[in-house]
Amino acid sequence: MLEIINLKASINKRDILNGLNLKINPGEVHAIMGPNGSGKSTLANILSGKNGYKITGDLKYKGENLKDIPVEQRAQKGIFLAFQYPIEIPGVNTNNFLKTSLNTIRKAKGEKEIDTLAFLKLVKEKAKELGIDEKILSRQLNVGFSGGEKKKNEILQMKILDPNLVILDETDSGLDIDALKTIADGVNSSRSKDKSFLVITHYQRLLDYIKPDFVHVLSSGKIVKSGSRELALELEKKGYKKIN
Amino acid sequence: MIENFKISLKEIDKINLINQEDKNYRIKNLEFFNKKGFPTKKEEDWKFSDLREIFSKNFKKIDINDTYPEENKFRLIKEFDHNYILLINGRLIRSDFKFEDKNKIKITGYKEENFLREKSNNPLICLNNALSNEGYNLVVEKDYKFEKVLVIYNLFNEDLSEKILNNKNKIIVKKNSELHTIEYTINRSKNKFFNNTYENIILYENAKFKNICIQAGRSEGYFHKFLNGSIKSDSKYSSFIFSSGLKFNKQDIKIDLEGKNSDCEIKSALFLNKEDHQEIKTVVNHLVPNCKSFQKIKSVLDSNAKGVYQGKIFVKDIAQKTNAYQLSKALLISENSEFDSKPELEIYADDVKCSHGSTSGNVDENSIHYLMTRGLTKKEATQLLINGFLKEIISDIKSETIKKFVENKLEFQVYGY
Amino acid sequence: MNNQDINTNQEYKYGFTTDIENIRAPKGLNENTIKFISKMKKEPQWMLDWRLKAYNRLKNLTEPNWQKPKYPKIDYQNLYYYSAPKSAAEKPKSLDEVDPKLIETYKKLGIPLNEQKRLSGVAVDAVFDSVSVATTYKEELTKKGIIFCSISEAIQKHPDLVKKYLGSVIPLTDHYFATLNSAVFTDGSFVYIPPKVRCPMELSTYFRINASETGQFERTLIIADKGSYVSYLEGCTAPMRDENQLHAANVELVALDDAEIKYSTVQNWYPGDKDGVGGIYNFVTKRGACRGKNSKISWTQVETGSAITWKYPSCILQGDNSVGEFYSIAITNNHQKADTGTKMIHLGKNTKSKIISKGISAGQADNTYRGLVDIGKKALNSRNYTQCDSLLMGNKCGAHTVPYIKNKNSSSTVEHEATTSKINEEQLYYCNQRGLNQEEAVSLIVNGFCKEVLQQLPMEFAVEAQKLVGISLEGSVG
Ligand SMILES: Nc1ncnc2c1ncn2[C@@H]1O[C@H](COP(=O)(O)OP(=O)(O)O)[C@@H](O)[C@H]1O
Ligand SMILES: [Mg+2]
Repeated sequence: MLEIINLKASINKRDILNGLNLKINPGEVHAIMGPNGSGKSTLANILSGKNGYKITGDLKYKGENLKDIPVEQRAQKGIFLAFQYPIEIPGVNTNNFLKTSLNTIRKAKGEKEIDTLAFLKLVKEKAKELGIDEKILSRQLNVGFSGGEKKKNEILQMKILDPNLVILDETDSGLDIDALKTIADGVNSSRSKDKSFLVITHYQRLLDYIKPDFVHVLSSGKIVKSGSRELALELEKKGYKKIN
Repeated sequence: MIENFKISLKEIDKINLINQEDKNYRIKNLEFFNKKGFPTKKEEDWKFSDLREIFSKNFKKIDINDTYPEENKFRLIKEFDHNYILLINGRLIRSDFKFEDKNKIKITGYKEENFLREKSNNPLICLNNALSNEGYNLVVEKDYKFEKVLVIYNLFNEDLSEKILNNKNKIIVKKNSELHTIEYTINRSKNKFFNNTYENIILYENAKFKNICIQAGRSEGYFHKFLNGSIKSDSKYSSFIFSSGLKFNKQDIKIDLEGKNSDCEIKSALFLNKEDHQEIKTVVNHLVPNCKSFQKIKSVLDSNAKGVYQGKIFVKDIAQKTNAYQLSKALLISENSEFDSKPELEIYADDVKCSHGSTSGNVDENSIHYLMTRGLTKKEATQLLINGFLKEIISDIKSETIKKFVENKLEFQVYGY
Repeated sequence: MNNQDINTNQEYKYGFTTDIENIRAPKGLNENTIKFISKMKKEPQWMLDWRLKAYNRLKNLTEPNWQKPKYPKIDYQNLYYYSAPKSAAEKPKSLDEVDPKLIETYKKLGIPLNEQKRLSGVAVDAVFDSVSVATTYKEELTKKGIIFCSISEAIQKHPDLVKKYLGSVIPLTDHYFATLNSAVFTDGSFVYIPPKVRCPMELSTYFRINASETGQFERTLIIADKGSYVSYLEGCTAPMRDENQLHAANVELVALDDAEIKYSTVQNWYPGDKDGVGGIYNFVTKRGACRGKNSKISWTQVETGSAITWKYPSCILQGDNSVGEFYSIAITNNHQKADTGTKMIHLGKNTKSKIISKGISAGQADNTYRGLVDIGKKALNSRNYTQCDSLLMGNKCGAHTVPYIKNKNSSSTVEHEATTSKINEEQLYYCNQRGLNQEEAVSLIVNGFCKEVLQQLPMEFAVEAQKLVGISLEGSVG
């Protein structure tokens, strides 16, 4: 699904990633853990195609080189990033946004556009599955949402857009236990053999709910250790320093 | 004598002229002024302060001033240590830099050759170009930080009835240097006069200049000052204006942010009373990237007073990453008071943060009510609130003694009403 | 004139012309032209006298020059002041008599005039060049006592109302373009809503400039009598021509006690091409008088067209407790220039006004908000709130905010806020990550930025306006 080969990245003359390798097969769930500032969000941004980074190395998605493919086309090809800090866009209705988004992605896939009625039905259904109050969808996109609402909204979008590679950037941070479960349920119910997940987190807590196949530790721009789920528990006990 | 506010070219001969070139320059400027006359509200810059109307109401004639008495009998500020220069009717009388390294400071009186012969189509600047004959020149050499504040005693003596005084001042702060001044205006004239000043401020790289402008008591003076500031990279200009108590005052401030990372801050708290009419006009030109500017103007208007704030932020196309903010707030506490404002943005660069706000209205009724339930009279409550409103500006002054000094002056105005 | 229906320009889809035989007044501005217009319209003497009075005043006026957009000198003697489709010179009695080509034109513009396919819930008065060609839903309105007709018809059939109110808000001598209009206005709409009547549908005028070298000078007069309500929409388009065309309309609104007028405009005149050639000069005077107590006038405008837009829909708040509102979106792209805003003149007690202005500038365009809030001495307990936001795309365009604020009343409060910024990169990135391309993302974010204004528009217009916002900015992001 995704292959990252010797990825180096810098921004504003600051080196952030220093030779990162990672391979994710279809159906796998990988977790990346790492201290603050280790480059986790940078990795997520680069995968999504954000501008402004100086990059060397290779990124392959479904066998295709991602170089030169702009953000929106990556999204249309099925890469979804749940943002660490979802931005507020005043005046833009959430439902309306989501429908526009869904239809561009469907169009790119050669599927028919979905009409408003069918869309609303879909949203209702997915929101119900996740136990999310639909009301937030008639509000302006992320504006005045609580931290938890923003994160849930990201998961709902993931559910509706139905991507192939999902990157969750600290989607668990700052959530209470109920919200955490909502999010984990959302992810778990989407797991399938043609979908892969890259779960970025700070705490092993989330991994109690989303059981990863692999855990990687990111430190100063490199994966310093990879292992199974037990690695996360070990990290929790010893802290990042010891692992390094 | 000046009839009909037209000025005879002969007046120029009363001035100590340097050479023919100087004379021609003055004549040209005077002719321009005579053609235009005192500005009226038809002119965009004078939309809210019709100077011609104000003058024809209050002056019958204006004469050029030629009296500059030696003055020794004035009281120095005792509240804090300071250097000082003494100006009488604009003329530099003496200076005292006892706290400083004198090699680093140059102070001279008015000398025409020190001033650029700028062309202008502002009639009052032209008037100043034509007739200026007093003022001072202050240079702070590089790598020097003033130890103590410099007070500029700006004294006007008793016999200035219907006189016009045109002064030119220039302050230069060189690289890596710092200057802090208080311009303290003391007014002894019981009669009306007009002071028209042109001031040039140049801050070189990494220089800092802070000025507080304050007024001792009420006066019959009519003041206009044009300030032309040029700020080079990494320098900071800050100005506090507390010029309450003048019959008419317009401070026309133009600051060019010419060097990257330069910064300009203008703050004002005014309490206007009686027939006072004060205008602050600021034009801040962001000409290069990464500069900052901030203006905060607070006014309280009592009796028949009129306050005006015209503020413009200009951002040139190359001046990306500009951060500019402007705020004016006015409290109208009497039926006949008026506040007009024109906060203007003219922006040609897109990656900028520029905003302004302007409010005017009465003192918050709920706050007054709250204070009255605590036993204050309505007047006391109002005084307390307007004092607090204005004090916010003063609280930005760092030196405690100077802050106290300014606070006392302001309180005297507020509680005297 | 050749019949070029083909739409060669993607951005401006109304750029076609219609091949129709015209009757024109001779070129030039003089008494004869005015007499010609008046005669063509079979006007009574008092109307002609009024026009001539305006013309005489005009001779002593000069064009204003304080506004920011400058334009080449207009040769007033080289313009036609009257142009009417021959078929419409005799006002058709019913739509069957209207030239089918005209009906076709309006159909192409999305304004069906046929009785069968009328826009549901909207009564339309269509003005083609200088004359009103058709008004729909007339009978239904008549039943309620509502008068909705062309101003020419009103001058003949309702002279008392016209005499009483015409020029009562915009005096004959107001300023150059308003006075010019008073002298040579050709047609426009007239609305009268009787006391206590709530107009059951949106009233709408659709303006179309077709003929070349022709100025359009329409005049609209709307009177809402005591306790009545009306919502009025105005739309405009013009063919693509490489000459500049002048449009100098006057709109007067009068709201009596407890009456409310909502006036919405979607202005999409031809803006000129990418290099700034051609386009309409839109120099319009719009003013409303809240004459009665508790009256309300609300202006909403979406200005995306014209080479130069220069207008300040204003409210004179005379009646106690009256309310004035101004909601505006002005989008300028390429070489377009807009200098627009409002005046809120508070005269009565407890008067309130609200100004929401959104300016968007792209390409080499210039966008100015200019506004006046004036709280008079007698306007006790009055309030104004103003919010002006500007968005810049690129550093070749400009945004200018010039508010004039006067408060002469200590019991009144004025609040003004303004910001200028560019589109937030992070917002664009977020939208891109959800699959939207740059143009879709910009359109979405800008529509969000304009939301407060768009939601003031009646449904029928809001959708079109949203699309227009996106289209107007096409090609502005790189
Ligand atoms: N635009 C930028 N310019 C300079 N440094 C940046 C920029 N963005 C991120 N960084 C730095 O890169 C490092 C990694 O950031 P990030 O990927 O957000 O870390 P994490 O998500 O792991 O906390 C941090 O030290 C951060 O300060
Ligand atoms: Mg992060």
